[in-house]
Amino acid sequence: MLNTSRRDQYLNLMASRGWDHLLLYGHAWRKDFFRSLVNFSFFGPHAVAALSKSGELSILASHPWDAENIKATLDADITCNGDFNSALKRFARANTAIAGMELMEARFVEHFPSAVSATLAVEELRRFKTPEEIDTARRAAHLADLGYQHFVDTAEVGMAEYELAAEVEGFLKTRGVEHNFMLIGSGGTEVYGMKPPTDRRFQRGDSITTELSPQVDGCYAQICRTLILGEPSENQSRSFAIFREAQQAAEDFLKPGVNIMDVARVQNDVFRREGFGEYTTSKYTRVRGHNLGLHPDENPYVLEDVDCVVDKDMVLIAHPNTYLPLAGYMVFGDTLVVTETGCERLNKSDKKLFWKEA
Amino acid sequence: MKRGLITWDKTELPPEVFQRRMEIARKVLGERQLPALVVYSDLWRSNQARYFANYMPYFNRALLILPVEGKPTLLCGLSPRTYRWIQSVTPIDDVRPAGNFAKPLGEIAAERGWTKVGVLDAEQLPYDLSEALQAGTVGLVNVESEAVFHPAKDEYEIAMRGKAAELVRAALAEELPFGVGKLDHEFVGRLERRLRMAGAEDLVILLTNGDGPPAPARARRLEAGYSISIALEYRGHWTRLTKTAGSDKLDSRLQVEERMDGSYPYEAL
Repeated sequence: MLNTSRRDQYLNLMASRGWDHLLLYGHAWRKDFFRSLVNFSFFGPHAVAALSKSGELSILASHPWDAENIKATLDADITCNGDFNSALKRFARANTAIAGMELMEARFVEHFPSAVSATLAVEELRRFKTPEEIDTARRAAHLADLGYQHFVDTAEVGMAEYELAAEVEGFLKTRGVEHNFMLIGSGGTEVYGMKPPTDRRFQRGDSITTELSPQVDGCYAQICRTLILGEPSENQSRSFAIFREAQQAAEDFLKPGVNIMDVARVQNDVFRREGFGEYTTSKYTRVRGHNLGLHPDENPYVLEDVDCVVDKDMVLIAHPNTYLPLAGYMVFGDTLVVTETGCERLNKSDKKLFWKEA
Repeated sequence: MKRGLITWDKTELPPEVFQRRMEIARKVLGERQLPALVVYSDLWRSNQARYFANYMPYFNRALLILPVEGKPTLLCGLSPRTYRWIQSVTPIDDVRPAGNFAKPLGEIAAERGWTKVGVLDAEQLPYDLSEALQAGTVGLVNVESEAVFHPAKDEYEIAMRGKAAELVRAALAEELPFGVGKLDHEFVGRLERRLRMAGAEDLVILLTNGDGPPAPARARRLEAGYSISIALEYRGHWTRLTKTAGSDKLDSRLQVEERMDGSYPYEAL
């Protein structure tokens, strides 16, 4: 449960910055800062782990069951209080830095005299995964592959988007996945993006897009694929070829020393060359990929205006997902881990436009 | 993120319900001489904004601006590419993109001549947003949620939570006996599939064999007398049930006082 590699990194960080205490805060949506040190998926609204410069660890959870579960496996000062705001005062010491401070309720932060944000510094450490985290990402990527195959096997004309999402959710949870970030879209050229599943029912010829992101022992991996119900049309095939080439360009380019802005650029260049440059802008797409870890959408975002040098042990996805007038919104991407000389694709699913008889 | 069915069935929650709730809030604002109420919402703190607007940002943030006079505005962190979906789940017509909520709030306030606005539970805003809003030109006045958010007195709120509870009861009545001998995650997967098929928007499922408090699935085999706690969200309405397999009696070790009118189902008191 205690990530000792991160603890050592955080202690070094504290020493270099002159911080006496480091707080790692999490709430029900963003547990990642807390889990980077104490890898327990708490279910109450709040939890915080406080590390002193001498290495002492204190934990405050807002739900008693969380506190008891952590106590069962971790030797630390662990307390619980439903009145998290009041209980947090105990941690309000001078010279404290807080990772996740921006996420905290304003009243929580007010307890701390001259609190400093440690969010960016901790994010930068978390950007590079430990060997154990890479192994976990590998397992998550394998489950993403299995989950996507189940997605393909299960989808059929007449099924609603939310029913397919339920099938995939059940499949992944049955195999021990703790959470899953999943978006979906379906239809044709009228579809400009993905969203949570609706009650729209699939039709023959639909392009069904999804991002599947299983979380295993805290770590997310992701796969993006497009499924056609029926034989792909010429435009669907032509469109997919552009996405396939763009993603491959990123995969071929990615290695230590390159800049993340160029990982975006090599993908966008493929669209520009094909005459679809305007569809690489924020009007039609969000990002060309992003880091993965304890949060499914970590910094850095793969964009042409993001300046960040890639290095070994980053885990990220390159996905040139966007709208094209040829066949509507399409997605394609794989989880990649940066190695000494390049990158390794963790997903093993075929790099193809999936389709099935309808 | 939410990956269950998020939808708006107007036979369940007619638009007039939201109008009525907004009118109650407007009355409070009028009494306090505030021209508008700002309600923050995100993935896990969406209950209050949803009470007025039926909108929840499934993986992002939003700010509802409810003026005493005129139509409300929804500022969304999500891309305009999702607006067709957003407008299918909310009675709010005016949906605007906003990466930084402070700037558009300031612009709206300037247009309408507001020098101050009410902010629902202002001190509970995320710190970064609180700082950004305080740095703006419009004054912020706290409005405590108890003044305008009354889920326990709202017949539609109660009815929707009743439907949520009925989904869980029906599933447990059939599935509970089949849990014994299964790995906990296998049983959770079975329940997730069933409940999401039935329209659950979100779920938090915890289990125990009685040797510790309930916890998320962790590859343990369920034994006779195991207990399960399910929090289920149905169209924005949370409910929570805890049952022990083979027993109608409450397991006193599981009893924790929680509020169900807060932002999340596991809010211990």
